Amino acid sequence: MTVPPPTVSEDILDPAVESRGLSVWYGRKQAIRRVDLKMARHDVTAIIGPSGCGKSTYLRSINRMNDTILGCRMEGELRVDGEDVYGPGVDPVLLRRKVGLIFQKPNPFPKSVYKNLAFGVQLHYRASPSDLDGVVEAALRQANLWDEVKDRLDDSALGLSGGQQQRLCIARALAIEPEVLLMDEPCSALDPVATAKIEDLIFELKKEMTIVIVTHNMQQAARVADYTAFMYLGRLVEFDRTRDLFEKPHEELTENYITGRFG
Amino acid sequence: MTSKADQRKALAEGLDRLNENMATLAELSELAIRKAVDGLVRLDAAVADEVFMLDQEIYALQVEIEKTCVDLLALHAPVARDLRMITTSLKITTDFDRIGRYAKDISEITLQFRGGETHFKKLVSIPRMADLTIEMVDSAINAFLERDDVSAAKLPETDDSVDSLHDQVFREIVTYMMDSSVTIEAGAQYILVSRYLERIADHAVNIGERVVYMVTGERPPRIRAADRAKDKAP
Repeated sequence: MTVPPPTVSEDILDPAVESRGLSVWYGRKQAIRRVDLKMARHDVTAIIGPSGCGKSTYLRSINRMNDTILGCRMEGELRVDGEDVYGPGVDPVLLRRKVGLIFQKPNPFPKSVYKNLAFGVQLHYRASPSDLDGVVEAALRQANLWDEVKDRLDDSALGLSGGQQQRLCIARALAIEPEVLLMDEPCSALDPVATAKIEDLIFELKKEMTIVIVTHNMQQAARVADYTAFMYLGRLVEFDRTRDLFEKPHEELTENYITGRFG
Repeated sequence: MTSKADQRKALAEGLDRLNENMATLAELSELAIRKAVDGLVRLDAAVADEVFMLDQEIYALQVEIEKTCVDLLALHAPVARDLRMITTSLKITTDFDRIGRYAKDISEITLQFRGGETHFKKLVSIPRMADLTIEMVDSAINAFLERDDVSAAKLPETDDSVDSLHDQVFREIVTYMMDSSVTIEAGAQYILVSRYLERIADHAVNIGERVVYMVTGERPPRIRAADRAKDKAP
C-alpha cells in the first residue's frame, strides 16, 4: 500500500514568503540547494534539520541578513508578499522593517528597556515623544512583557532575565510592525518556563503576522508550528502540515531524523 | 544527565519490550479462543477453567502494556512510526481483551451445558466458524508483528464469511428450536456462542485496520460487506 507524497504546498495559495529554486553559497560551499518553499500567511512554519542543513541560512536569506557575509551569493527567487526580495531597487533596511529577525541569544542594546524599543521606532518612523510612549507600551504589552518591566523602563535592559531579554527583543521587533517575524532558535538559551512564555507569545502573534521559526527542538516545532519543513544537506526533504509530518512522514530520511534514528 | 543517544536507546528498548508483550498478549488471546471452542465441543469443564485463568492473564498483561505505553508517551514524546506503534498497541490491547472476554463467555456456556449432557447434534458450523475466526486473529497478529498492512487490509473479506456462517447458524438453530430438536434455552446458548465468535472476528478486523494505520499512517475506510461483494462481482 503506497501513500501519495504530501501536496500541501499546492494548498498555500497566498504565501507571505515564497522561494523558488533558492540556492545560497558561502564561497565555494553550497549551503542551500534549489529550495522551493511557501510560508502560509498568518501561520507558523518551522524549519527543522540537523546542524549545518542550511535552515538558518534559509531563514536569514528571507530578510537579506546574509548580504553582510563576505563571499555569500544566491540564485533563484525569494519573494515576500509577492515582491522579489533580491530585486533591483529593494532597500534591505526597509525590507527588514517588514521582516523582523529574532536571534538565538537575546541581544538587547546595552541601554534602558525604553530606549531598546524607542530606537528602532525613531529610526524607521521618527515618532514624536508623545506617540513614542504609546508605541513602547503597546509593543511591550504585545510581547507579554509590560507587567514585568513597566516600573523598570529606565533600567538597563541587560539587568533583565534571559527570557525577559528575549521577549524584549521580540517587542523591539514588534514595535516597527513587521509582517513577517523570523526566529532563529529563539528558545535555545532559555529555561522551560521562559520557553513556554515565548511559545504562548508565538501563538498570539500569528494572528497578526507570519512566523518562521528555526528550531532544534522537535517537540517545540510540533507544539508551535502549523507547517514544518525538514531540511538536510541544504535540500528541502519534506514539507507538510506539522501534525502530518510528525504522525506520518512520507520520506524515510524525515522519519529517521524525527524519531532520532540518525547518523 | 542522560544523553540523546541514551534516551533513544531507552525508547528503543521500551518499544522492543512493548512488541514482545503484544506478541504474548496475542498468543494468549488466540489460545483462549482455541481452548474455549475445544472445551465447548468436548463439553470439558477443566478446559473451561483454563480459559478463565487465561482471561485473567490477558487482563493483567493488558494493564502492563497500557502502563508501558503511557510511560513511553510521557517520557519520550515519540513521533512518526514510534508514535503510531504505541497508539496502535494501546488501541488493540482493548480488542485482545475483548477477545479474551468472549472466550471466557463461551466457556461459561460450556459449564452450563455440563452434567453428562452431550450436544443435541454434532457441532459442525460452530467449529468451522471458530477455525475461520482463529485464522483471522492469527492473521491480524502476524500482520501486527510483521508490519504487514496488505494482509491486514484483507481481513474484512474473511469476516464476510464468518458473518455468513453466523447467519446460517442462527437460522439453523432457530429451525431446530421450532421443531423442538433443541430446547429454547440450549438453542439460545448456541446462538450466543456463534455471536461471540462473530464478534471476535470483528475485533480481528479492528486490529487489521489499526495495523494498516500503524504501517502507512492512513486510516482505511470501512466498506460495507454488500459493497465489497458488488466490487467482487464480475
